[in-house]
Amino acid sequence: MLKTIQLDKHFGSHQALKAISIDVKPGEIYCLLGANGAGKTTLINLFLNFLQPTGGQVLVNGRDVQQYPLESKRDIAYIPELVMLYGVLSGLENLEYFAALATGEKLPRDKLLSLLQGAGLDATAADRRVSTYSKGMRQKVGIAIAMAKNAKALLLDEPTSGLDPKAANEFSQLLTKAKDSGVAVLTTTHDLFHAKQTGTRIGIMRRGELLTELNSADVSHSELESLYLQYMEA
Amino acid sequence: MKSALFGKVFLHELRVLIADRTLLLVGSLLVALVLYGFYNGYQETLQREHAAQELAKKQADKHAENITTLRALLGGEQKPDPFANPFDPASVGGGMEMRYATLPTLALSPLAFGQSDMLPNYYKVTDRSKASFMYDTEIENPWNLLSGHFDITFVLVYLFPLIIFALSYNLLTVEREQGTLRMLLSQPLSLAILVAGKLLVRALPVLLIMAVLPLLLLGVLRPQLFQADQLPAVLGWLGLVLAYGGFWFALALLVNIIGRSSATNALALMAAWVLFVLVIPVVLNIVVGLLSPAPSRIELATKTRLITIEGLNRYHDKLSSDYRFTQDPEVLLPRDGKIEVAPRRQAQFLIQRDVDKEIQRVLNEFSTQLAVQQMLVERFGWISPAIVTYEGMAAIAGNGAARYLEFQQQVDRFHERWKEYFEPRLLNSIAMTEQDYAEMPHFEWAEVPVQVSGILKRLLLLVIPALIVIAFAIRRMRRFSVV
Ligand SMILES: Nc1ncnc2c1ncn2[C@@H]1O[C@H](COP(=O)(O)OP(=O)(O)O)[C@@H](O)[C@H]1O
Ligand SMILES: [Mg+2]
Repeated sequence: MLKTIQLDKHFGSHQALKAISIDVKPGEIYCLLGANGAGKTTLINLFLNFLQPTGGQVLVNGRDVQQYPLESKRDIAYIPELVMLYGVLSGLENLEYFAALATGEKLPRDKLLSLLQGAGLDATAADRRVSTYSKGMRQKVGIAIAMAKNAKALLLDEPTSGLDPKAANEFSQLLTKAKDSGVAVLTTTHDLFHAKQTGTRIGIMRRGELLTELNSADVSHSELESLYLQYMEA
Repeated sequence: MKSALFGKVFLHELRVLIADRTLLLVGSLLVALVLYGFYNGYQETLQREHAAQELAKKQADKHAENITTLRALLGGEQKPDPFANPFDPASVGGGMEMRYATLPTLALSPLAFGQSDMLPNYYKVTDRSKASFMYDTEIENPWNLLSGHFDITFVLVYLFPLIIFALSYNLLTVEREQGTLRMLLSQPLSLAILVAGKLLVRALPVLLIMAVLPLLLLGVLRPQLFQADQLPAVLGWLGLVLAYGGFWFALALLVNIIGRSSATNALALMAAWVLFVLVIPVVLNIVVGLLSPAPSRIELATKTRLITIEGLNRYHDKLSSDYRFTQDPEVLLPRDGKIEVAPRRQAQFLIQRDVDKEIQRVLNEFSTQLAVQQMLVERFGWISPAIVTYEGMAAIAGNGAARYLEFQQQVDRFHERWKEYFEPRLLNSIAMTEQDYAEMPHFEWAEVPVQVSGILKRLLLLVIPALIVIAFAIRRMRRFSVV
């Protein structure tokens, strides 16, 4: 569903991605681990056609994203590291707009409210201006926007940053539910525990290279931790 | 699907612009500017119309007074004044009767001062040389581009682009800077639709205010606006406002597509404004002045004096004869349809006639200068949409250089008619009758209709650059960077 083939990305002389090939199938949660600057966000941006690859291919649902930008975006829901919204509008109004762009329909108020609730946003906050929201609250609206789309694939760039542990845990449950209904999930994270907990597969990146891929079922948490540190130090 | 998304973007942007009060603020500022500009133009037009009425009244009063005097003299109730004798064609044609030739205002006159305060709106026509009444102003450079009066056209040409910038200089870049752009473009929404929706929601209200509000005010205050012959001017006004505003919106679009940051966008747009609205018009003003300098007034004055001196010699005999009425007051009254026109006054008329004839070449230079200046602006004005719009609005308002030039020519021809009417009477000593007073020539301004082709040409000169800018922006959209 989310696939790259020998993907290269250069920024000038700097090579941010080196021959990355991954394939996230429906019903998988693929966790990308890697230090800051490893190239995780760059990879996500390439899936969204925000950047053009220097070499190789990016496919969503079998379609090249450069040739079919709109079609592939119909299949992806995306939560950025920092969910940014229109501060003068309420969380509900923001959700209403993005959900309308995503689905082409205007969702009724109770549907919007239940989406926000599902994302863990306090019901009393729904009609307040987003400019009064905390980072975590905005993140929750971002989650609601993604969930509203009912997309075949989820692209998540450190989605739990800014969420408190309880909210992060609820989010993990949402992801697991999505996985079970056949959604392909690609998420970047620093959180080894979260990766082991919810991920079905784990990829470790360093300086633009995908060093290894493993099934999370095959490793224990401590094994994953020592493996990760081993790769980072090498 | 596409139009549905467009509608969603449009409504959402409207919601944001209302919620953050941008629309209210910018809209009311524009309304205030339009009202003030309109007020100024309307006052100016009223003053002109008032002045024209005063002149017409003065002319009619003088006429009535002359008839009264004439009747009183015929009835013997009054003694004739040798220098204000209603029977004497020299007195009558030389100022007892005069014609104030005025250029009427048009329905749209309040919208643009144009050349109306640079060039005379009326002339006092008598049988004196036209050098004495048509070319006696001090204005060195009659044609004036972007005069800087605070009229509606000033609001449109100078300030409206700034209003447009305020609304749209950071249309896309702010979304990138705030991080909402990646949220938007992760949806199946093309950049073209997004930007079109954002542009239209900003363009519609301000274009509506700028284009329609002045017409509404005019419609209330000047019902002649609704006459069928005003339709080209009204449509021309609407077209020019939309096209000029469209040009600046197109530029804002381009800058947003190319620009990396809102700050550079603002700088780029201000630079374009300075170039098109300030620099090019000023430079063109200077260039036009250099290419078509004002003819020498000293030459005109010297030449007039020389011809006058020649005339003093040529008509020496007539000039040296005495006024006969001093011995014989009876000559001041008509006898068998004749009146004795004093030879001195005949000589004065002839001198003025000679001045007109021989000075024609110098005078032609003056009217040619205005025509050449206008031609130069027509030829080079397309470089700046501000010039195209300014000139177009002046023309539509009836205050453009071309109409003033035509006015001068019509007055010139009328002056000839006036002199032709009096010359045989004056030289053959034919007494003026009451009947003659009714038949003396009147100045009738023959309107030059607003040229539809001229409006269309100006519209093209605005629309083509706007389309080029838009095409360029669309080409650059492929290279637009979301992150
Ligand atoms: N738009 C860009 N222009 C230039 N360099 C970039 C750009 N985006 C990312 N990079 C560089 O690419 C590398 C990978 O960055 P990124 O993908 O953000 O890493 P991560 O998300 O894993 O922390 C970094 O060295 C970063 O400086
Ligand atoms: Mg990152």
